Amino acid sequence: MKTLLINMLLMISLVASAPLLAQEDPLKVGMSGQYFPFTFVEQDKLKGFDVDVMKAIGKELGREIQFETANFSGLMGMLESGRIDTVANQITITEERKKAYIFSEPYVYDGAQVVTKEGNTEIQGVEDLKGKTVAVNLGSNFAELLRELPYSDQIDIKTYESNLERDTALGRVDAFVMDRVSASQIIKEKPLPLELAGPTFSQITNAYPFRDTEAGRELRDQVNEALAALRDKGELKTISEKWFGTDITRP
Amino acid sequence: MDVLNVEYMVGLIPILLGYLPLTLQLAGTGMVLALILACLFAVVRVLRIPVLNQLTIVFISFFRGTPLLVQLFLFYYGLPQLVSALTVIDGITATIMGLTMHFSAYMAESIRAAIVGVDRSQTEAALSIGMTNGQMMRRIVLPQATRVALPTLMNYFIDMIKATSLAFTLGVTELMGATQKEAAGSFLYFEAFIVAAVIYWIVVEMLSKLQHYLEIRLNKAYSR
Repeated sequence: MKTLLINMLLMISLVASAPLLAQEDPLKVGMSGQYFPFTFVEQDKLKGFDVDVMKAIGKELGREIQFETANFSGLMGMLESGRIDTVANQITITEERKKAYIFSEPYVYDGAQVVTKEGNTEIQGVEDLKGKTVAVNLGSNFAELLRELPYSDQIDIKTYESNLERDTALGRVDAFVMDRVSASQIIKEKPLPLELAGPTFSQITNAYPFRDTEAGRELRDQVNEALAALRDKGELKTISEKWFGTDITRP
Repeated sequence: MDVLNVEYMVGLIPILLGYLPLTLQLAGTGMVLALILACLFAVVRVLRIPVLNQLTIVFISFFRGTPLLVQLFLFYYGLPQLVSALTVIDGITATIMGLTMHFSAYMAESIRAAIVGVDRSQTEAALSIGMTNGQMMRRIVLPQATRVALPTLMNYFIDMIKATSLAFTLGVTELMGATQKEAAGSFLYFEAFIVAAVIYWIVVEMLSKLQHYLEIRLNKAYSR
């Protein structure tokens, strides 16, 4: 009888606390799973810099993180339609995007980098892209950066869903443009004959986008607090050094 | 670097096979639902039921006339924009919806053709001995139409299995999505995609065997 009573009390307390638990829904984070070394899969395990930073943020917030992977072209639609809460895929802050979303504080500072096939002496930097075919990732901001160049009408920009590194190595395109950090990492770790061409040509800052709603703004503020705490503790730096050997989380 | 990394490929097989059940679930569910829908459409079209017939014609025209990927985007991203409650449609549901509607449009036409193709004398004979329309359909027309429609329907099923590879754009990690992510991690694109291709191929080959067996069974009455 006594145990029955205790059980009932337990059940009641569980039911009563259910609304509180509902608050603790996992934070749904979208990523492509196809952007080495920020987000990629090895042996069925999702890994990368963005995975680690997001997990650290989750710990800071005391919330579980649920990663949702989809092709990059689908991610913003998933955010828009409320299926995910934010995107952790090195989303660059741009004027265009600021019209549609609100952003957290930047957590990665980087530059745009031209990459060519190894041994390409013709292209030594962004100014040599005149008359060339250049690959960029679909939905990324690098196409915009190229279009801002005064001679942009002479650049044949090709957008890729994935695989642009391979196509550059194969010579199907003359170069690709990506952020310096992941470009260097790809060249260092992967068996592709590629090289950096010249210095970076544009400062980019990456952050987490959120829907511009009350809930979105609240979440953005929480994430900003978590980011600041991680920065203070040096944890952002530690994660960055683990993946890149350098701190990319500061300007 | 241009030597095939066989060790990587072998290691990838069990990982990718783990995503095959979802691929088959998407295609299997889509096929069952599409068959039901297609049969309804075909009957409506053959019997020329007013209003429904016109609606079916528009439906078939739209879903045959637009790419599957466009339809998937409409279901998944478009609908919630109009009615926010429709966010409950998850990637798997949206994929099955898309596959069902897209392929039912094609299948309705081949089922209709199979029904219309049954010789006129057969239906006349059935009616002359006093069968009702329903009896005639069940006992005389549909068994013969099934035999004619089977090869094309199997064709659509095979196509549907391969069409599930679009689901990763809606965040559903099926066989193709898993392959893309693994390839992005290793940069061994050829190795990863050849493993995926062979898995698709073997599945389709097994279905072709099934089709062959079914055809023999359905042809029994015609062999002498």
